[in-house]
Amino acid sequence: MHLPEIDKYAERKSIFHSWEPRIKLVSLSFLIFSIVLNSNLTIAFFFFLLVIFLVFLSNIPFSFILIHLRWVLLFCLFFFIIMPLTFPGDKIIKLNFIHISLEGIKYASLITLRAISAILLIFPMIGTMKFDTTIKTLQKLKIPNKFIQMIIFTYRYIFVFIEETRKMFIAANARGFKKRTNIYTLKIIGNLIGMLFIRSFERTENIYNCMVSRGYTGYLKILDDDSKVCRKDFFKAFFIVIVAIILTIVGGTL
Amino acid sequence: MKKEVINIKGLEYTYPDGTIALSGIDLTVFEGESVGLIGPNGAGKTTLLLHLNGILQGKGQIKVLGLEINDSNLMFIRNRVGMVFQNPEDQLFMPTVFDNVAFGPINIGLEKCKVEDSVKKALKEVEMEESSGRYAHHLSFGEKKKIALATVLSMNLEILVLDEPSSNLDPGARRHLINSLTKLNLTKIVAGHDLEMILDTCNRVVLLNKGKIITNGEPKKILANKSLMETHGLEVPSSLL
Repeated sequence: MHLPEIDKYAERKSIFHSWEPRIKLVSLSFLIFSIVLNSNLTIAFFFFLLVIFLVFLSNIPFSFILIHLRWVLLFCLFFFIIMPLTFPGDKIIKLNFIHISLEGIKYASLITLRAISAILLIFPMIGTMKFDTTIKTLQKLKIPNKFIQMIIFTYRYIFVFIEETRKMFIAANARGFKKRTNIYTLKIIGNLIGMLFIRSFERTENIYNCMVSRGYTGYLKILDDDSKVCRKDFFKAFFIVIVAIILTIVGGTL
Repeated sequence: MKKEVINIKGLEYTYPDGTIALSGIDLTVFEGESVGLIGPNGAGKTTLLLHLNGILQGKGQIKVLGLEINDSNLMFIRNRVGMVFQNPEDQLFMPTVFDNVAFGPINIGLEKCKVEDSVKKALKEVEMEESSGRYAHHLSFGEKKKIALATVLSMNLEILVLDEPSSNLDPGARRHLINSLTKLNLTKIVAGHDLEMILDTCNRVVLLNKGKIITNGEPKKILANKSLMETHGLEVPSSLL
C-alpha cells in the first residue's frame, strides 16, 4: 500500500539533511513567502529554476516528488483552462464566442510557477528530516500548540484513515459492489464516507480518553531534542535569504 | 492485612442516551491482586474500567489508593492507574514509539533525563528497546499492543487496567503478553473475553452482566461453573472442561 510519507528520504545525506532544522525551516519559509508574493512572471521562472536546483541538492528523488506533485499539477491545469478564457486583455485566439487572452495565459503561468515552486520547496524543507523532528522544531519556534497538535494527529491518523477506507471498500467489493458511473455507486460511496465519519467521531472520543488517562489537559508537551547551530547553517540561510531578497527587488523594478 | 487499592460502593452510571451501564457496583481490590473482569458484550466492563481513573464519573463512591476521585487529585490518580485500551491505534496517538511512551511521564512533569529513563525501562519490559525511533504506523498489530502496554508502564504505576488486552493477537504475541503480565508486580484489573488468559493471569474473577456484579471469586470455581457461564453468555474455557 502506498503511504503518503513525506519523510521517506529523511535518512539520506545532503546539505539540507545536515542543516539545523530551525534555521532551515525559517529560511526556506522566507523563500516560499518571497515566491508566493512575487508578481513578475520572469522572476517566477528564476525562482522556479532556483527551487529545482535546491531540490536537486536535497538528494530526494524527482520521481518521488512528481508522485506527490500530481494533484498540484491537476489543480493548476484548471487555471490554464479558466484564466485564458476569463482574464481581460489582448485576444490572441478568437473562436466564435471563445476568446483566449495572452494576459490570461501569463497569469495562469505565474500562478502555476508560484504554486509548483512553493510546493517543491516543501520537500527540501520537511522531507529532509524525520516528521517528529519537524514537530519538535515547530515547538521550538513557538508555533501555537493547537496547530502542532492538529499537524501531529493529521499525520498520525491519515494512515489509519487510509487503512479503514481500504478495508471498507474491500468489504463492499466482497459483497459484489463494483464502481460504476451511476447513481447507485454514488449512493454507496456516500454511505461509506458517512460511515467513515461516524467511525472517525467514535475514534476521536477513544483517543481523547486515552490521552486524558495519561495526564493530557489540553496542552501537548513534546520532549525537545538537542540540535546545535553552527556557522555553516547560517551561511546556508544567508544564501537563501539574499537570493530571495535580490530576486524580489529585481522583480519589483521590472 | 492487605491494603485496599480500589474501593467502589454503590456505583451507578447511565449513558446520555438513557442506557443504564452500571448499577449498584460494590467492589474492593487489594494491593497486588490480579482481578479478571468477565461478562458478555455490553455487560459494563469497559464502563467500569473508565471510572477507575476518572474518565467517567458516575454516582456512588470510588476510592483509588484511599482517595476519593475528584478534580484536585485526578492527576495523581491518573499517574498511578494506567489504562491500556482495547485498540492500540487509539492509545498510540503520537507519531513515534518514543513520543507515545514518553507522553505520560512528560505530563507528570518529569525531567528530560528521567523521561528518557522511564521510556527505556518500559520498552525493555515489553522487549521493544530497539523500536524507540520507529513510527507507530509502521508497527505490526502485536507490536502496537506491546507499545500500548509500555505507554502506561513508563508512568509511576500502582494499578494496571487492561481492556481486552489479547484481542486480535496471534498465539505467539498473546503468549508473550500473558508472560509479561504475569511478571509485572502490580495490581492488575483485566477485562476480557479471553477466559484462558484470565485463568493464566488473574487470581480473582468478577462476573458482570447488565451492569451488575453477578459473582466474584476464585477463577477456577467461577469459570468452571457451566450453568453460571452459559446463563451469562459465556463458555467454560476448554482447559477446564
